[in-house]
Amino acid sequence: MSAPVETETRSVKNVALLGRDYRGVSFEMMRAEGDVVQAGEALMRDARRPEIRFAAPAGGRVVDIERGARRKLISIKIEIDADADAVRYAPPHDNEAETLRAFMLESGAWASLRTRPFGNIPHPGAQPAAIFVTALDTQPGAPEPAPLIDSFADEFRAALDLLAGISSAPLYLCLAPGQSQVVGEASNVRPVAFDGGAEAGLPGMHIHKLCPIGFAGGEVWHLGYQEVIALGHLLLRGSVWSQRLIALGGSAVSNPRNLLVPAGAAIDELLRGEVQDKPLRLYAGSAIYGAALASSGEFLAAGQRQITADVDAADARPASATAGVIIPLERLERLAPPGIYAIPLLRALQLGDAERARELGALELVEEDVAPLSHACLSNSNYGQLLREVLDQLEVGR
Amino acid sequence: MASPLSTAFANAGGYGRVLKLQLVALLPVSVAAVFNSGYQYLTALANNPERVGDDVRSRIAAGLGASWEDPGFYDLLAAGLAHFLPLLLLALVIGGFWERVIAGRRQRPAETGYILIALLFTLMLPGAATFFHVVYGMSFALILGKGIFGGDGKTFLNPALLGIALVQVSFPSVSGAHPLWDGLAGYAGSDAIALFHRGGEEALLQAGIDPWSAFIGATTGTLGTTSVLAIMLGAAWLLYQRVISWRLLLAQLLGVAVIATLFNLAAVGSDTHSMPVHWHLLLGAFAFAAVFIACDPVASCCTNPGRWIQGFLIGALVVLIRAANSTHPDAIVPAILLASIAAPLIDHAVIAWNIRNRGQRHV
Repeated sequence: MSAPVETETRSVKNVALLGRDYRGVSFEMMRAEGDVVQAGEALMRDARRPEIRFAAPAGGRVVDIERGARRKLISIKIEIDADADAVRYAPPHDNEAETLRAFMLESGAWASLRTRPFGNIPHPGAQPAAIFVTALDTQPGAPEPAPLIDSFADEFRAALDLLAGISSAPLYLCLAPGQSQVVGEASNVRPVAFDGGAEAGLPGMHIHKLCPIGFAGGEVWHLGYQEVIALGHLLLRGSVWSQRLIALGGSAVSNPRNLLVPAGAAIDELLRGEVQDKPLRLYAGSAIYGAALASSGEFLAAGQRQITADVDAADARPASATAGVIIPLERLERLAPPGIYAIPLLRALQLGDAERARELGALELVEEDVAPLSHACLSNSNYGQLLREVLDQLEVGR
Repeated sequence: MASPLSTAFANAGGYGRVLKLQLVALLPVSVAAVFNSGYQYLTALANNPERVGDDVRSRIAAGLGASWEDPGFYDLLAAGLAHFLPLLLLALVIGGFWERVIAGRRQRPAETGYILIALLFTLMLPGAATFFHVVYGMSFALILGKGIFGGDGKTFLNPALLGIALVQVSFPSVSGAHPLWDGLAGYAGSDAIALFHRGGEEALLQAGIDPWSAFIGATTGTLGTTSVLAIMLGAAWLLYQRVISWRLLLAQLLGVAVIATLFNLAAVGSDTHSMPVHWHLLLGAFAFAAVFIACDPVASCCTNPGRWIQGFLIGALVVLIRAANSTHPDAIVPAILLASIAAPLIDHAVIAWNIRNRGQRHV
């Protein structure tokens, strides 16, 4: 795999922030359509937790704020102006947890943290039981994280130190076996190697192994290596890191390769000239674990590291559209998240039995953990969606 | 992809795809069943030429020109088809009939699972079964085994096994109904096991059964369960396609091996206790039922620890019943029925234990 310095850089005209990347947030706009914004400038904040801000991935003009049912924010689109300035954020003046958290909140970096259970943005005052940095990627076709981390070693190290300082909880740095360790100075950074199949890189796997959650009310936080680099960039250079490393792949892509692209880039622009002229099926991520995307008008999601464009073959679709009975095949066992009995959990999800699903470990999971089960199970159920319905019920009951 | 068969399966949704895989797995067993039925029939005829039956299947065999004098490939095939196909076709017709009736009453589309049930049921019938036994067993299999539980994928006992069990307890003397099959006393190949119980290995050798013939399946027994070789081919396919659980299969073999060895060590003169492990695996319907009935993904445990427990239980019960109960010399039918009934309880205990562990580990 080529080092990021040699990775081809692609630019696009349009980027966007997507509402669906930030579950449970009701956005309060700080900028209106037509405004000119700087890169890293706060575009909106969480109406219920106004400290949490969402920064523009690039400078330019806000061209469209798309809203859906009940005025729910779908996306906020920015037309990039290459000459636009970037907001400068002053680094935190001391190492108190409060100061460090304030820096993350103000610069918008806080929004890249996710809680487990539920996959929300953590509350600014909450205390996690552990923080996980996912610095390996085992998805088929995904870009190798190590070269990118090495070329941003200073940023990565600085961000690890900051993350270790925002709470007293241990900070687990999850790596591939043999991966060179860029570990910060903070004593509570604990590197852990994970080996295995495609599931070995999932945060759900790491959390299950190191700090299982859900029964005693605790929560852990996690974030990906590119978000850590972005945080380090803000710390050391004061400005937002507006690029992301992604892999472009799939059966319809003529030249699969890694690309450095703007964060939130329009996928239509990225695919232009790259794919065969056939009906496409797009995934945000790999074809197994990734979420299916619409065939046009989509943008790079927060934390997305892959675009998979497969030729849409009609005979690969399920034979029947109605959800049927679960046949407990052996192949489901192999795809089950660790420590979870697949069939009882899937039955509980299909029935919408939230209490049973909780007992069977649903709080350890988010949609991506059960995505391969939806593909392999013959019942045509979308377990990601069913899991989310159950998680929503459990979240209300907490 | 446009053949009538695949259209029928496409309507069956997800279950149809599993069904297809299982039917493919049963192909070698079915071929072995045809040839062994023909071989057994012609051998019996060669030994007693005066006892040519006047039943439908013997007449078909004679009409097809199957000759017992120096039987060749064609003779075996014709005699085998004459005995296997009528039973299978009748089982399909009865299965299809009840499927239609139930689907009509339930106002849902007809399912295709009865095809697999009919094939499994026929393969586990003794060669001497009459057409009435097929009607009786398949009716119970479809109504009691499948229909009242809601159809394909919702059963808790394997319907074919239930049908065979009901024929077995209702007509224990079925094997006497056909003049040429009295070598096949009893169901599920139990005669060979009974033979061992009476006279040990010498009795088997006198009857022409050695480990090799039992492995390739040229022995008396129920129609489809004699050829361990064909069964292994089917098992390999199902394991490769990840339909059946290797844990459940291995656990059954372990159960047989452990309990049979214990009986051998404690053998007190009786041949029923001293039957070695390899004969337990080769004789009777154990191999067939272990792969195609006990590993039925729908009617077995759905947690991995549960599969280990259930599999070991089946293997242990088979040896236990074979050694201790002379009225069920083959033992596989009651063993799997008991273990299937226990499966939800086993799963319940395993899940309760898993939940307790989760509660202790979590923060």
